Amino acid sequence: LWRRVFLESIATMDNKGWSLKAGSLLLLLLLVSDLLLCQSVASLPICPSGAVNCQVSLRDLFDRAVILSHYIHNLSSEMFNEFDKRYAQGRGFITKAINSCHTSSLSTPEDKEQAQQIHHEDLLNLILRVLRSWNDPLYHLVTEVRGMQEAPDAILSRAIEIEEQNRRLLEGMEKIVGQVHPGIRENEVYSVWSGLPSLQMADEDTRLFAFYNLLHCLRRDSHKIDNYLKLLKCRIVYDSNC
Amino acid sequence: MINDMCDSACAPEGPTGMDLWQLLLTLAVAGSGSAFSGSEDSSEKPKFTKCRSPELETFSCHWTDGVRHGLKNAGSVQLFYIRRSTQEWTQEWKECPDYVSAGENSCYFNSSYTSIWIPYCIKLTSNGGTVDQKCFSVEEIVQPDPPIGLNWTLLNISLTGIHADIQVRWEPPPNADVQKGWIVLEYELQYKEVNESQWKMMDPVLSTSVPVYSLRLDKEYEVRVRSRQRNSEKYGEFSEVLYVTLPQMSPFACEEDFQFPWFLIIIFGIFGLTMILFLFIFSKQQRIKMLILPPVPVPKIKGIDPDLLKEGKLEEVNTILAIHDNYKPEFYNDDSWVEFIELDIDDLDEKTEGSDTDRLLSNDHEKSLNILGAKDDDSGRTSCYEPDILETDFNASDVCDGTSEVAQPQRLKGEVDLLCLDQKNQNNSPSTDTTPTTQQPSIILAKENKPRPLLISGTESTQQAAHTQLSNPSSLANIDFYAQVSDITPAGSVVLSPGQKNKAGISPCDMPPEVASLCQANFIMDNAYFCEADAKKCITVAPHVEAESRVEPSFNQEDIYITTESLTTTAGQSGTTERAVSSEMPVPDYTSIHIIQSPRGLVLNATALPLPDKEFLSSCGYVSTDQLNKIMP
Repeated sequence: LWRRVFLESIATMDNKGWSLKAGSLLLLLLLVSDLLLCQSVASLPICPSGAVNCQVSLRDLFDRAVILSHYIHNLSSEMFNEFDKRYAQGRGFITKAINSCHTSSLSTPEDKEQAQQIHHEDLLNLILRVLRSWNDPLYHLVTEVRGMQEAPDAILSRAIEIEEQNRRLLEGMEKIVGQVHPGIRENEVYSVWSGLPSLQMADEDTRLFAFYNLLHCLRRDSHKIDNYLKLLKCRIVYDSNC
Repeated sequence: MINDMCDSACAPEGPTGMDLWQLLLTLAVAGSGSAFSGSEDSSEKPKFTKCRSPELETFSCHWTDGVRHGLKNAGSVQLFYIRRSTQEWTQEWKECPDYVSAGENSCYFNSSYTSIWIPYCIKLTSNGGTVDQKCFSVEEIVQPDPPIGLNWTLLNISLTGIHADIQVRWEPPPNADVQKGWIVLEYELQYKEVNESQWKMMDPVLSTSVPVYSLRLDKEYEVRVRSRQRNSEKYGEFSEVLYVTLPQMSPFACEEDFQFPWFLIIIFGIFGLTMILFLFIFSKQQRIKMLILPPVPVPKIKGIDPDLLKEGKLEEVNTILAIHDNYKPEFYNDDSWVEFIELDIDDLDEKTEGSDTDRLLSNDHEKSLNILGAKDDDSGRTSCYEPDILETDFNASDVCDGTSEVAQPQRLKGEVDLLCLDQKNQNNSPSTDTTPTTQQPSIILAKENKPRPLLISGTESTQQAAHTQLSNPSSLANIDFYAQVSDITPAGSVVLSPGQKNKAGISPCDMPPEVASLCQANFIMDNAYFCEADAKKCITVAPHVEAESRVEPSFNQEDIYITTESLTTTAGQSGTTERAVSSEMPVPDYTSIHIIQSPRGLVLNATALPLPDKEFLSSCGYVSTDQLNKIMP
């Protein structure tokens, strides 16, 4: 594990200067030595710093994450329903709103079998990717909803809350990943959202449809993350016996 | 729909008449007709009624078969679906994989055909033409199956026997994979009485058991549960109804069994008693306190008030001691008295009792001090002779005083003899046996004599000087514990008063030896019993003595000290009265107390009790306790 990290770091720094490489190598050496000294020898994949302590804190982390994801899904559902009630009636958005979400490119498991087969580390990474993908859209959503004419307070307040909670959930997930799968720090992969221009369209119908689509995708993705987290919690913390 | 129409229109408005009623009827018919037509219209085309996924793994869609009448389009309804994968709708519409499993007019998609979070579109075709279309995602159409295995257990019954609490338990629907966490369900319980129509709803719970409170015991209840996916809005179907029949209590159980609250009464009773007790104990009411908690009697001599002793009024104390019976045990045998005598070896030539007495008297003052100062060889000492309690131990001193006072009459005799020794050179045989006794009291009462010596010595110094043997002028001072006879009643009783000193400078030797001396000694009494015999003798002699001071006791009971003048003045007063005292009467050797007039006065009875022993007659003074007991009935 450490060798891999070491080699990777060396490989990535070929283009940099020799001094920089030496410095980074030195840093790596220090890190490795620190880790070796401080940590116990037997490092389990799940809990490296000790079984009992790790398990308890992991449970707390998962509990908190599940609560957050559940909350976000609730808010997004309410927000979507509010929007649907107010703006989308009689416009036939439903039949048209099968536009893909920007996160569809991420290959996430689509049913229970697939979710059970995937390794929990990969699943955690997927969750992280999805969460990261929504940082940008949520930010713009808040801005755009504020700029809407007669901005409905229900939608706006929820949008703001979802954005904040999403950030917190991301932090929590990163902590979980740090405990469950320490050492590996993947590049920040996420789907880029390109729906901003459609949100700012002058045409009201187009704009409203863009909002509708975005909120629909948000509801779907929040449900996905919520489900994944509950599955992982039962699998990791309770050993598939919730 | 028909019902709805009827509900709004069928209600009779009021007693307006038959015409209104007919209008309503026609309206109702028309409404129902339109409703029928509406339903027929809607039933011509197949339509999706509902698509549902019970466990987020499969789903099924149902539609209505629009065929109402006849076999217009029988069996030509088809369902096609398409699901969006990646970003495009590239796929073709596919036909329903299973028309059978979900029942009639339904299409069932098993887990292989189901993808979550993937948009689906289905369309219904009839004879090639699209009849209906619908798009959805599977996670949006989740409606779980009803829970199974409902049962209830009794939690408790209220004390009144009217209400009870139960716990209802159930199992989640079997096809929902709750254990792996794929789907999270929440439940809603509803209950009602059997004959009621409205269900009571409880808040949704996440657990599979919930308590139901306050059910009446005399009613039957129905309970049902339904579930839904958390975050969803739609509930699944209700479970089967569970009938709750609570155990019937006997009708008399409703009556509250009134048990006499013995326990409470006992508790409060004890509490109240304790409070009262404490109130008494800590209250200032001395009387009540005495009643409840009588003071433990401290050991003390009967008749003597310790405060009296503390005050230092020795005269009163002496009186009290003199009359007290407690001093019977203090009456020592002659032997003890004898033993206590300390002989002066220098005066060996004077072995006579007189010499002894003289010695005693001479050394009395010193010896008394010495003796009381812990000079104790081996004689039968009593508590009287404790050295450290010279001043403080009044009891002992009182005891001593008592004994000594009692013995004073004897000493009186002796001392008188002593005083007259020089002049008369008499044999003090009559008083021989008395001297030892008299000596004792002198020794004992040395302490008492201390405050007095100067007073008496001053007055009697002249006489004392005459006595060679009485070198110590204070010897006479030691003879100051005789009781002063203050009055003699016609009956012959002598009234004694305490603390009355006779400062008469009359030398007892001037008087006839026996009687006169006795009488003289009377004047030098102080706080001592006075032998009536002596008194009587003096009385008889008194008239004869004129030049001398009389034995007349002063009637001044107030005066502690009797001056010579008072004596002389009263010399002849009681002479006649005293004459009444016949000398033929056997003079008893002791007197008994007849009346206690005051702390200062005593009336002694001249009881002529037969004296069984000659010993009694040995001294006209004290008697020992047992002797007295023999005499007295």
